Amino acid sequence: MATQTDPRTDDGAAADDESGPGEIEARVGLRYTLKQVKRDTTARIGIYTVGFVTLVALLAAIDYYLFDYAVAETVWYNPVQDPDQVQRLLPPVGMENQYGPGVIEHPMGTDHRGRDILGRLFYGTRIAITVGFMATGIGLVGGTLIGAVSGYYGGWIDDVLQRVTETIYAIPFLVLVIAFMTAFGRDLTFAMIGVGITSIPVFNRLIRSRVVSIREEDYIEAARAAGVKDRNIILRHIIPNSFAPVLVQATLQIGVSILIVAGLSFLGFGAQPPTPSWGQMLSASRNYMLPAPTFSLFPGIAILITVIGFNILGDGLQDALDPRINN
Amino acid sequence: MGLLRYTLWRLAQSIPVLIGIITITFFLANQIPGDPVEIMLGPSPAQEQVEAIQARYGLDRPAHERYLTYLAGVASGDLGQSIYYDRPVLDMILLRLPVTLYLTVSAFMFAIVTAIPLGVLSAKRRNKPADHVSRIVSLIGVSTPSFWIGLMLIIVFAFHLGWFPARGLPLPWADPADIRGAETQLEVIRTSLHHLAMPMVALGTLQMAQITRIERSSMVESLQGEYVKLARAYGVPESKIVRKHAFQVAQLPVITIIGLGLSTALGGAVLTETVFEIQGMGRLIITAINNQDYELIMGTTFMFGVAFVIGVIITDIAYAYIDPRVAYGDE
Amino acid sequence: MSEPLLSVENLKTQFFTEDGTVRAVDGISFDVYEGEIVGLVGESGAGKSVATSSLLRLVDSPGEIVGGEITFKGETIFGLEEGTSGEPRPRDDMLSEEEMRKQIRGREIAIIFQDPMESLNPVFTVGGQLREFIEINRGLSEEEARAEAIDMLREVGIPAPESRYDEYPHQFSGGMRQRVLIAMALACQPDLIIADEPTTALDVTVEGQILEMVTELQEKYDTSFIWVTHDMSVVAEICDRVNVMYLGEIIEHAEVDDLFYDTKHPYTQALLDSMPRPDRTVEELDPIKGVMPEAIDPPSGCRFHSRCPHAREVCREVHPEPRDLSDEGEPMHSAACVMYDAFDVGYEGSRPIETEATGGFSAGLTETEGDE
Repeated sequence: MATQTDPRTDDGAAADDESGPGEIEARVGLRYTLKQVKRDTTARIGIYTVGFVTLVALLAAIDYYLFDYAVAETVWYNPVQDPDQVQRLLPPVGMENQYGPGVIEHPMGTDHRGRDILGRLFYGTRIAITVGFMATGIGLVGGTLIGAVSGYYGGWIDDVLQRVTETIYAIPFLVLVIAFMTAFGRDLTFAMIGVGITSIPVFNRLIRSRVVSIREEDYIEAARAAGVKDRNIILRHIIPNSFAPVLVQATLQIGVSILIVAGLSFLGFGAQPPTPSWGQMLSASRNYMLPAPTFSLFPGIAILITVIGFNILGDGLQDALDPRINN
Repeated sequence: MGLLRYTLWRLAQSIPVLIGIITITFFLANQIPGDPVEIMLGPSPAQEQVEAIQARYGLDRPAHERYLTYLAGVASGDLGQSIYYDRPVLDMILLRLPVTLYLTVSAFMFAIVTAIPLGVLSAKRRNKPADHVSRIVSLIGVSTPSFWIGLMLIIVFAFHLGWFPARGLPLPWADPADIRGAETQLEVIRTSLHHLAMPMVALGTLQMAQITRIERSSMVESLQGEYVKLARAYGVPESKIVRKHAFQVAQLPVITIIGLGLSTALGGAVLTETVFEIQGMGRLIITAINNQDYELIMGTTFMFGVAFVIGVIITDIAYAYIDPRVAYGDE
Repeated sequence: MSEPLLSVENLKTQFFTEDGTVRAVDGISFDVYEGEIVGLVGESGAGKSVATSSLLRLVDSPGEIVGGEITFKGETIFGLEEGTSGEPRPRDDMLSEEEMRKQIRGREIAIIFQDPMESLNPVFTVGGQLREFIEINRGLSEEEARAEAIDMLREVGIPAPESRYDEYPHQFSGGMRQRVLIAMALACQPDLIIADEPTTALDVTVEGQILEMVTELQEKYDTSFIWVTHDMSVVAEICDRVNVMYLGEIIEHAEVDDLFYDTKHPYTQALLDSMPRPDRTVEELDPIKGVMPEAIDPPSGCRFHSRCPHAREVCREVHPEPRDLSDEGEPMHSAACVMYDAFDVGYEGSRPIETEATGGFSAGLTETEGDE
């Protein structure tokens, strides 16, 4: 008796590549996303801006950690040292104030200690980008873990975890971070951790709602029935399927973190002088708003441009990953 | 379930959250290095003085005891004593809270009143010039640090043009005798509003930009809904479709975002009060932290938490009011 | 025969997208007379919904009605004429947008959409929405409209209408919601109702109830219907005459019995053969081979030729318009297929070609030798 081979495959492991029943939820690959983003002009501006700023931050970091500002000194000015010939509070080149005319050697002017503003802005990117990325990273990892566990298991685990994150969320983040830093140290590291903790609720909410909706899908049931461990289900099926909105949120969150850190530095809870950071420069500029207003202008613009870059990029990614809205 | 029951249930739910806030703050406050007594009395104080102060503020008791005492105090309305100001914490809070509320609520109103029409307009004229302008403006709004906006406003409008005052915020119900240059209550109100203008804009811009963005995208989505197509097919005039059919549904995500923005707004108040030198809760909390004033720290943080929780509850109720599926969840 | 209620002639609606021009409706013509139910059948993507939206002039950009004529009770809903520069422009007697809104939409022609959950606004009461439409289209006051609304809810079989009036859509089941939509359409007392796949989202028992109710109401109010569906069994149950659409064109038109028992077009036949029926087993099911092509780039000649089991060379070259193939004195039965003598393009002499239906393009999953 001839037996026919059954062409139907019962491939439970193919759950990864199958769309869930109902709406299409394909896992969009990175290459496809980038291609979409490249088509969008504004998103491209975002990528270039972010890329530029990150590159600057990288260079600044290398110079700082490896060469102790030696490169800056040779090429431009040392951003943390008071110069020998002090020209305080100069305006940008082409303008004049009570301290003198602007000079080409200091295109954006000097600060209250005679240091070049442009150079300090340049090195300020290090702080902004480092804290932005690190804090968001902490929030992402923490929020994902909590959200995934909370959403997957439900029940009292869910309740407890959610109440805890709500409480973190309820305290105004600025207050929380300030208290945190005062308790543990007014150090950049604690700023990162503090801001990171405050961004956990955002990712937690995102992942949890995804998990709750995916949890009931058939392919998850199939995996469970096949004996796949919970841990693997979460790691291999659930989390990759939430990739898209998390990426968008992370990009936007970096911008948010940079704003928060700027605020912290402004209040004195960030990088300590003489390390250059934009928020702290703005704080110093407050005392000279009347005689040297341009001092207050440039650090703010630096923040603005950087955060706009991340926001545009985030928007562009969102459009690329969720074409529904524009079609 | 009904709107009333829903409200009560949310209120009950918030108690554990408030307790959690106190706990976290207590833990953090306790970690702060330094000795408040030393700050008050200076270095090398006499022993009896130290003990007297400690006894007075209960600092000589172990941490968990202080924690429980504090909780009990809160439940009965006693928030303890501020070491730095040597006054009950509640007094300090009541002194400073009105200004912060005045500022925050005004900024909030400013944000909503400008953002919602802007967002709706942007959605109606999607991809036309008005839309592009609005989107650029709101993009800048969410990317700009609020304290920098404050600085720029002060430089341009206070120092350069002299149109607005650069610091302070008198309350509109203050006594004319306390306000320099005001003789009648009307003048007090006028001065108050004059001082309010810039900080309100500085604080409210971020919220405004956020709300504009979400309002726009929500309206765009709502206008593409099947129910809108049906209304059109039945001859409902376009203006009514936008105003009624699309608008109400679209407000749901907007309300959620507003609720989520409360935390940001309160944090922003701290910065704005610093820039404009306003004597509000924000400055109070910074002072408390800088001086390790435990009870004041906890009291003010607790108040912020209460304000936040109330805000969230109001948001949830507003949401439930608009979306019948929440309160009347049946099926 | 009196004048038709609705007359559609050579209607063309296109969508101008980045990828090209989609000819969603490419020259369809049909009539609807008073008191009858005309079916509009076809698979997804055939252009049925675009056609019905065009009737109400509710085609959203990037779509646009580019040609043809739509006449309703003597009024011109759509018509073009040559403008001064040679470019086509709307005719003077064409109803303005304002007139369409006030006179036609909801008042003379009403529409029932497919998905009752999405079609009802979730934040307003069911009764409120119904009342609003009645107010607008029948010029009644609020109280009068409310009374009418409650009456209509009762009429469509919703129990306790007074209390359900104040409930929200999510508190209704799918079948109930669809009844509400039907109530909306009937309450406005239009002469023509377009039902766009109203029972597709419902399960079969509910569907049966709805169809029965519609037939009763139709007899009672003598409203005409255009019933859009892809389900031939629904067509068999309620339609008087049927138009079959494929890729933006009407390829067959007949009275319902003729369509089923004297099927002329191969596509219609294929549709009928692919229908699950209780008296046929799965092996006897014969799905139509291949997929409907995109409307951006339709096949040359007869658009169905790429999937037709009877295709020949000439089918690739000649694009047939529907022609009346009925005998003298018999009701009209037209089809767009060159197989028939009436077309006289030399079908007999033409060489048969390989198509997806004859296993030419891709070897299908089910290959059976010979006929089944």
